[in-house]
Amino acid sequence: MSRPSLMQSIGDFFTDRFPTTKLNWNDLVVKKTVPEHRMSWAYYLGGLALFFFVVQVITGLLLLLYYEPTVSDAHASVQYLTDYVPNGALIRNMHAWSASFMIFFVLCHFLTTMAMKAFARPREITWLAGVIMLFTVFTFGFTGYLLPWSQISVNATKVVLQSIEQVGQYLPAALAGLPTTIRYAIQGEPGIGQATLSRFFAIHVLVLPLALALVLGVHLLSIQLHGMSQGVDRTTGRSMRFFPTYLMKDLRAWTVALLALYLVALTVPFDSFLPFTLLQPFNSLGSTPLGIKPEWYFYPVYYPMELLPFWVVMLGMGALTVGLLLVPWLFRGARRRTLAALSGLAALYLVVIILFGHQIYVLVKGG
Amino acid sequence: MQCIMKNRKFKVGNGLFYRIIFIVSLGALTSWTWAFPEFQAYSERHSGRPVNCGLCHVNPDGPSGNGPGQLGRLTPEEMQRVNQSRGAREPGQAIDNPILNPFGDHIIQTIGSQKLFDLRRDPAGLATALGSQSDLDGDGISDAREYLDGTDPLNPAHGAPGRMLAVNLRRHAAEVLFGLLAFGLVLAGLTGVIRRMIARDELEHGSDEGSA
Repeated sequence: MSRPSLMQSIGDFFTDRFPTTKLNWNDLVVKKTVPEHRMSWAYYLGGLALFFFVVQVITGLLLLLYYEPTVSDAHASVQYLTDYVPNGALIRNMHAWSASFMIFFVLCHFLTTMAMKAFARPREITWLAGVIMLFTVFTFGFTGYLLPWSQISVNATKVVLQSIEQVGQYLPAALAGLPTTIRYAIQGEPGIGQATLSRFFAIHVLVLPLALALVLGVHLLSIQLHGMSQGVDRTTGRSMRFFPTYLMKDLRAWTVALLALYLVALTVPFDSFLPFTLLQPFNSLGSTPLGIKPEWYFYPVYYPMELLPFWVVMLGMGALTVGLLLVPWLFRGARRRTLAALSGLAALYLVVIILFGHQIYVLVKGG
Repeated sequence: MQCIMKNRKFKVGNGLFYRIIFIVSLGALTSWTWAFPEFQAYSERHSGRPVNCGLCHVNPDGPSGNGPGQLGRLTPEEMQRVNQSRGAREPGQAIDNPILNPFGDHIIQTIGSQKLFDLRRDPAGLATALGSQSDLDGDGISDAREYLDGTDPLNPAHGAPGRMLAVNLRRHAAEVLFGLLAFGLVLAGLTGVIRRMIARDELEHGSDEGSA
């Protein structure tokens, strides 16, 4: 392919994905419709993930008023916030619960998008932005986990950072040192300490929110430009206006979500699911308590790592990441029924490993 | 001379040996007297949750050692308080033991060190002996229950999730009711608005609106 035609192709690709002629109020809002069919409920999942992200930002800003990102004061500041600040426990609980809800809805959104073939042309960029956001929310969870500086947060972070270093032994000699360099770049010092906490804090409260806002902007713009995908093979022919009918319905779903979040955060402290031994302040001189585990949304990677050889999991993770990014091209000709079956299998794996991962581990490893 | 020297050397060595034996025995005795792993093991078994010495002790690794809240780091005044606590064989005496946390002090105060010692053979009996009235962290779950559940009796934000839900629903009944009412009104309002919008759309464009 000659140079001008390559440039032309690239230009055409982006013109198709971002048709600037549609960048007007009429096309973006007034004329936009949302198909109505048996899978219409799935259109609300992305909006719910967005809603919980907004809750994360608001509650996170409130937590920032009291949180001290130093190894000496981080745990005490969280404790003070929980025990003495009016509604501090509620805000902290809302932050923790909404993080889990956000990841839950991101996963549901991802699976239904796959099943409905909503990644098909011209929505490849929407899909790519979505996959990047999927990884970003996991990074949010990982970096936020360290901030309370408790036994579990520091020890779980240690485990993940050690696994990064482990990758080195499977790389060619010239690249073998790279994971160690990456680990030290993340840690900022030989062990997990103040430099690590400062970096995780900066990444969690500044770098990731800005990155997510940027990618989210691209994602939402792309959705507005192309509208909701058809979603099913047999359309009903019915649709509703995006503005204001669908938006009002979205708002109603958000209201239910906020009520559920409020009730859960008010009545069930998020920390109560963890053994108290893991919530104590991190003690570098003390023994490592039992039961160090990541948050539930890392189980699909954590339990395979515990059960299978490290290289198998790494290879699987690498293939999955590349596969996810290439989904629009790999499954270009796939039927919706096939995609729905694939999504169903993925959902089944997620449910089984998240709910029964520990039992499977005990069964295989014998406790 | 040689013989005397040898003899003296032997005596010095012998003294050091006995001194080491004495110190090690004292250490073992104190940790044995003040660490009751039977209760920790029972709580863990009963609840299925990991529990450490931090349930009753200041230091999560227990009383032996030189860390904060451990015997090796105590001042003479603190050691005196440890001894006072040791002497509290009967219930009802005020305890402020520097190696125990408020729950540990509360146990000695409530049942006395003698009974605690006896209960090592029946650790389930500790919950009964403590009774259901005391709730040191004020989370609505009794200390005895928290001992059985393997949760922190000194952290108001820690308890078995199901129990926390039940307790907090009762405790925050007003907030829950007003929350439900407020959100219910908002939802009813939104639903009404949506219905009117759909009806207006159908009137304006006919029932096939948007199908193009």
